[in-house]
Parts: sequence; C-alpha cells; structure tokens
Amino acid sequence: MKPKTGLGLALCLLTLVSFCMFFIPAFVIRPFRYQSPRALAIAISLKSLAPVVTLVLGLAIAVLALFLWKRVSILGRVFAVIAILLGIGSAVMARQNYFEWMFHPIAAAGFLPASDAKLGDNEMVMALRIGDEARAYPILQMAYHHILNETIAGTPVVVTY
Amino acid sequence: MAGQRELHFYLAGINNQNFLMRDRETGSWWQQANGRAIAGPLAGSSLELVPNDELTFALWKAESPQGIVLAPVAGREKEYDGKWEEETAKYPTPFSFSGHGLADRDVVLGVSIGQQARAYPLTKVRGATPVVDRVAGTPITLVTGPDNVSVRIFRTELNGAEIELYRDAGAEWRLIDTSGNTWSFAGCATSGPTKGECLEKINYLKDYWFDWKNYNPRTTVYSR
Repeated sequence: MKPKTGLGLALCLLTLVSFCMFFIPAFVIRPFRYQSPRALAIAISLKSLAPVVTLVLGLAIAVLALFLWKRVSILGRVFAVIAILLGIGSAVMARQNYFEWMFHPIAAAGFLPASDAKLGDNEMVMALRIGDEARAYPILQMAYHHILNETIAGTPVVVTY
Repeated sequence: MAGQRELHFYLAGINNQNFLMRDRETGSWWQQANGRAIAGPLAGSSLELVPNDELTFALWKAESPQGIVLAPVAGREKEYDGKWEEETAKYPTPFSFSGHGLADRDVVLGVSIGQQARAYPLTKVRGATPVVDRVAGTPITLVTGPDNVSVRIFRTELNGAEIELYRDAGAEWRLIDTSGNTWSFAGCATSGPTKGECLEKINYLKDYWFDWKNYNPRTTVYSR
C-alpha cells in the first residue's frame, strides 16, 4: 500500500471514530426511545470519554489532513476538508449539553413570599419543609426546568421533576 | 450530598423516559426515579429522599403562610407549558406491562417500605374515603385533603397501637379516629386525648405505572 493511501485510510478511520464518539451516545440517549442497560452503559462510557478523545482525534485529523493536502488530488482535498469539519464538529458537539438547550436550567432561583405568588388555587406545587423553612416549587415550572440545586435551612438539596 | 461531599446536578440525558443527571463534582450519572448513581466514581451511591408533598397551592399556602414560592425564571415563562401532561400522554412508552389492569401512563402513587413496593392508582385512592392498607406489615392510610386533590399517606400507628382514621360525614373536611381525636391534614391531632402528637408521613413517588414498575419490578398493585 502506498504511504499516502495508508494515511488516507487512517484519516478516514480517525474521522469515523471521532464522529461515533459523539453520535452513538446522542443516538442511544434519545427521548422516547427504549434503551437496554447494556446500550446505556456503552453510551455513557463513550459520552464520558468523548470530550477528551474527540479533541485529541480532532487535532490528529487536522495534522494528517494538512500533511496530505499537497499530496492529493482535488477530490482528496475535498475529503480532507470534510474530515476536518467532522473532526471539529464532533469535538464541539461532544462538549455541548443539548438537553439544557431543550430545558433551560435555573441559573439563580428567585423566591416570592406565599402571599405574593401569582398561582391559581388549584395549581400543583412540590412542597418541602426543612427546619422552619417551607418552600413550594410549582410543578408547571419544574416540569420544564427539571432540576434545581439549592440549600434549605443549611441542607443542600436537589429538587427534581 | 454523597458522604460528606455536597453535589450539584445538571440535566444530562434520558433513560427510558426517566431523566439522567450528572453531578459537577465527579461527573457521575444519576437516575432521577430513584436517586441512584448508575455510572461514574459514585456509582452505587444513593441520594437521600427528602420528605415532600405534592399539594395544591391553596392548601400549601394555608399550611405554610410564611413559606416562599419559586418564582418563574424571567424570560422563560412561555416555555412553561400548561398542557405538558396532556402532550406527554400521547407519547408511546419504551415498554409496557400488562396484567395489572393498569395502562402504561396511568398515574400511581408508589410506596416502598422495607423490601416491599406497592402502587396505588391515583384514581382509586383520591376521594372522600381514606384508604386503609398495609405494606411490609406497616399499617398506612391514604388521605385526600380538603381540596379533594392533595393526597398524603400516613403510618397509622401511634405509641405502638394502630389507629383507624375516617372522614366525618359532615359537609366540612374533618378527619377523626375511634378514640375521639380529630386530625389535621398535616397528620397531627388537633383535639382529643392525643392532641399535639403527629403521625409519621410516608413518602410516595407519583409516577406513571410503566416507570414505577420498571424500577420496582416486584411491585404489588392496590386494587380494591
């Protein structure tokens, strides 16, 4: 095999691996889709490694593509550009939490006294009482945000819905 | 918290329609339904469930007039979808459990005491008559509050003796027992021989049947 071909294949392989590091977890951990425990475990492992691995692979892809640039045809250069874009794309997407794009987290929770809260009498709330502190979390809001980290009477809690 | 370490969580994914979260401190993955870490350095750990209620706002306000309410996040109000329950009900579930007379998205109150898990279909337990039952030998009663919506579960045992709660037949909401005590919806005796004492509140998980069954495969179902 010519060295150029070997390197070209290596470039394809690195690009494929990089893409899979992002894509497989994204595909498996999808809403409304059934996941077997094994598939989930694999997806979680990949997702945990992906930020670092895609970064390293992205750099390797860039180096290889640039090395091959002068040595390949126009078609070869098109593939090289695709490889670089996929490499960058995977490295960027591996660091995005798109679940938080769908369900924006609460950055800084604000609270109102019970008498000021504008909720209907029949609106459902999650209610916590720790020590002397009583707090209510409207289900309508928590069904969207899903998670709230906070501290009540010195106790750190996470409210989830 | 895990051990002595305070953790902060963020939304990280979804597993068979129950969400996954990760903590920033170790990157471990946690299942929301049971507060257990399924992967990462803290795998196997469990978060402690804090006693909580799901109540109507009016009832909560009456019980906790000095309490505070989470304010809507500025700019996000239009994301709060009043129809989220209706819309979610249309989605298929990742699995189906037949044979208990329950549809996958029927709402149940899931109780877990000792090694026993039991599901109470919400439509069967919400109502004027307190529901008396026993889980792992513990006598419990499910009581619907004055708003006809909020439900609480109490361990109906006081000083070693079982008590029987029932609703007074009058127009106003009144919870009494056979020893002449009157009880508030908070589970405390407001008059009678045991005035001032309170019953232990039992935690429940309000969940879709398919999700409760997935995490509690040997659960029984209340069916009277």
